[in-house]
Formats: sequence, structure tokens, C-alpha cells
Amino acid sequence: MTTQPPTAPRRGGLLSEIEALLRNRYRYFAEIRDGVEVSRKIRAMLMWSAIFLALFGAVIGSEYSVRQALASGVKLPLLFLITLLVCLPTLYFFNTIFESSLSLSQNFALLLSAITMTAIILLAFAPVVLFFLITTSQYQFYKLLNVAIFAIAGWIGVRQLSQGMRMLTANDRRGAKMRGRILSLWILLYAFVGSQLAWTLRPFFGAPGLPFELFRGLGGNFYTNIFASLGELLGFFTVR
Amino acid sequence: MTQKQPPTPEELILAMLREVLARQAEQMGLRPKAEPPPAPAPPPPPTPPPPPVTTPVAKTEPSIAASPAEFEEAAEPLSAAELQELAEFNELADQPILPSNLPRTLRLLVIGLVALLILINIPVFNVALARALPDRQALIIRDGLLLKGSGPEVYVLESNHKRWISSIDAFEHYGYRWDEVHVVDDSSLREYPDGRPLHVLLKCNASPHIYRLENDKKRWIKDIPTFEAEGHLWEDVRFVTCERLREIPDGLPIPPDAGPPPQP
Repeated sequence: MTTQPPTAPRRGGLLSEIEALLRNRYRYFAEIRDGVEVSRKIRAMLMWSAIFLALFGAVIGSEYSVRQALASGVKLPLLFLITLLVCLPTLYFFNTIFESSLSLSQNFALLLSAITMTAIILLAFAPVVLFFLITTSQYQFYKLLNVAIFAIAGWIGVRQLSQGMRMLTANDRRGAKMRGRILSLWILLYAFVGSQLAWTLRPFFGAPGLPFELFRGLGGNFYTNIFASLGELLGFFTVR
Repeated sequence: MTQKQPPTPEELILAMLREVLARQAEQMGLRPKAEPPPAPAPPPPPTPPPPPVTTPVAKTEPSIAASPAEFEEAAEPLSAAELQELAEFNELADQPILPSNLPRTLRLLVIGLVALLILINIPVFNVALARALPDRQALIIRDGLLLKGSGPEVYVLESNHKRWISSIDAFEHYGYRWDEVHVVDDSSLREYPDGRPLHVLLKCNASPHIYRLENDKKRWIKDIPTFEAEGHLWEDVRFVTCERLREIPDGLPIPPDAGPPPQP
């Protein structure tokens, strides 16, 4: 009762793996499930998602200075990959406890596919961000625009993860309900870890009037900062 | 009916362990006594026919002994909606990926973006396109912002008040940097009411007196009540050599009617 035979190894460079993910993610998931070239997929996704994220980081940092562009270009891929590494064991072990048959590398590949999708969406938005970078000057607007873009890209990535997880574990019926709940909670955890790490690694944009700094002292948190920016943009108060 | 494989030694050990655990639980009163278990592990109950899904069936170990039901979640059959979703997934997964220009497009996008990034960051007439708009240099008004008008005074913003930094020593003592000072219009400065000035206090080891540095003059603070009344903190006292203190000209003492200032 199954299904397609294991897919033949894909030819072409590592970018062909990204093409496969974009053009038929269901087939891509089926290949991960069947263990077809999982390590090659991981390599391709690691490399290309890092490049895409670095580019987007450089674009958002250009608003402030060249040094900030370089710093953001390094920090943005780090942000996503460290978050992934921090959260991966939780997902893997909880899934295993609730009788999922996915291996660690399959879990890793699945999470990387979500990050790669997020990175591709960010890359697709990069020209839009560049346009607003050149044509607008309001820092708070620029920051919130990018937060919105990150939210959209993150949502698409997470949706892809949830779809992939359903497909990969469809046959592990025992514990399926619990694994579904765990995935929802894990996504929340991922968002919290990601936003806290983003706060720790900031600045990504570089605030006008402040000198360049690789890392800014901690203080406040991501959510209060976004709230304050919204308040200033809507004219309720001035950020101090 | 499905054909059963004989259990492997590992499976037999697992079954025995489960049995021992179940008996232990019975003895501890954690679960009601069950029927006496059959001597050999019972054969697995016939599994229901698998749902008509077109996905590959994952390898599952045949169950050897029934586990205590309360410790495990029962496997639920796929619902109709899930079945349909899976069928759709599989149908889509079966579609081949035909060659396309996508890798080339992605490569071009990456190269184009890199080129654009370089272009907008190259300074032309001392300003790069990315930061060419005049408002790009706008300040974010916040606590700790250093401002300077047309005069020599430097202020730091705090709680919507501007606090005058009374000397270079004070500026350095509080860890400010000159490249952080923003020159603004005097009218912008006037928008902020004056707050308490930011002073640095000087003292040398050989003398009990404390002086406030203000406009490059040292002002003797008469006593501790005055020191506290002026809102000073002991952490703000900087130790210097007595020779350095003596070199600084005297200003008015604090309070002004305190009499002639003593020398350190």
C-alpha cells in the first residue's frame, strides 16, 4: 500500500534541492521520510538558507551603515540556526517519547526545510525592503515593516513545518494526537526562543543617533520594544 | 490474516519486563488485580486491516505482550479528513519535478541583490544612497542622548529634561564619548527644561575636603549636610592627586556664604 518508490538521487548542484523544496514540497517531505539523500538535503538547506538570510540581514543593516550591514549579515543566519539547535532536541525527544519513528536527522531536515522556506520568503521580500530603505526615512516604520515581513516569512515556515510533520509521521498513529499538541507547543517555544535570541543579538537595524555596536546591552524585551515602536508610529508617544 | 513472525529474544525480554512491572504495580496497589496472565506471552491481537492510505507503511514492531492499557495511548485510526489530506499529499508527492529556470532565477536574484547592496553602500559625495535621505540622520529622542547647541555646553537628556554636564571631567567620569554628541539647533534645545546639572566631585587622599568641579573651577562643599542637600552621591566622588586639586582655581564655595575655601 504505498506509494511511490524511493526517489532517485537528484542531479545538479545543491540549489536543485532548494528548487525541489520550492516546487514540490510534498515530494521533498516524502524523500525525507524515505531517507533519500537526507544529508545532501541538510547540506543544501544549511548553505542556501545561510546565504539568503545573510543577504537579507545585509539589506536591513544597510539602513544604518556598512559595518551594521556586515554585522547583520552574520547575525541573522546565526539567529535562525542557533534557535534551531536550541529547540531541536526538545522536538526530537518528545516526538520519540510519543512514538514517532523519525530519526534526529529527519527531524533536523524537516526543521531546516521550514527555515529555508522562511529564508526564501525573506529573500523574495529583499527588493521591497531595499525600495523602502531608499525611499522612506522613518526608522520606526522601517523597523515595523521588517518585523511584519519576518512574521509573514516565519508563519509560512512554521506552516510548512506542521504540514511536513503531519506527512512524515502519518503512519505513526500511536501518540499522534499528543504529538500534534507537542508540535503546537514547540512552535510557541521556538517563537519565544527566537525572539529572545533576536533581542540578545540586536541591533540588526542600528538606531539613528546611536553609535555602531555589535551587541547592545540587554534591557527591556522584544515585545515591549515593538509596542513602543507602534506607539510612536501611530503618534501616541515618543520612544525614549 | 497476517502472518506472525516468531518473537525475537529482545522482544521476549521486553515482554517479560512488562509482565514484571505489571505485577509490581498490582502488588503496590497501583492497578486492580488482573486475570492471571497466561504462561507464555499471549499472541498479539489480530490487527485491524490498515486504513486505505497510499502512503508507505512505516515499519512497526509486532507487539509481543499487551501493555498495561493505562500507560499507553491507543492508536487512533485516521479520520476521513486525515485520510483525504494524506491522499492529497501523496498524490502531490507523486508528481515529478520537471526541470525549470528556478535555480538560475534564484542565482540571479542573489547576484542582483549583492550588486545592489554594494551600489547603495558606496558613498557618492560623502553619502551612500542607502542613507541619503536627510531625515535618515534623525535622532531618536531617548534618555542618555547627548546634545549640544551653538554654545560650548553639552547636555544629556533624562526624563524629558536636559542636564548640563558641568565639566570635561564629569563628561569623562560618566563614560560619555565625544562622537556621541549631537549638535542641534538652539531652539530644539530650548524645548527641554533644565534638569539638575551633572557634576563630578573631586577629592584627594590627604585632605578631608570635597570639591565640585564646575566650569573648570573647584567649588568647596562645606559639609556633609550640604553635600547631601545638593543631591550628590558618594559614588560620584573621584580621587585625584592633591597637587592636581590645588592647580584648579577656586570658585564660589557651596553654599556661597560658607567662607573662604580651604586648600586641599
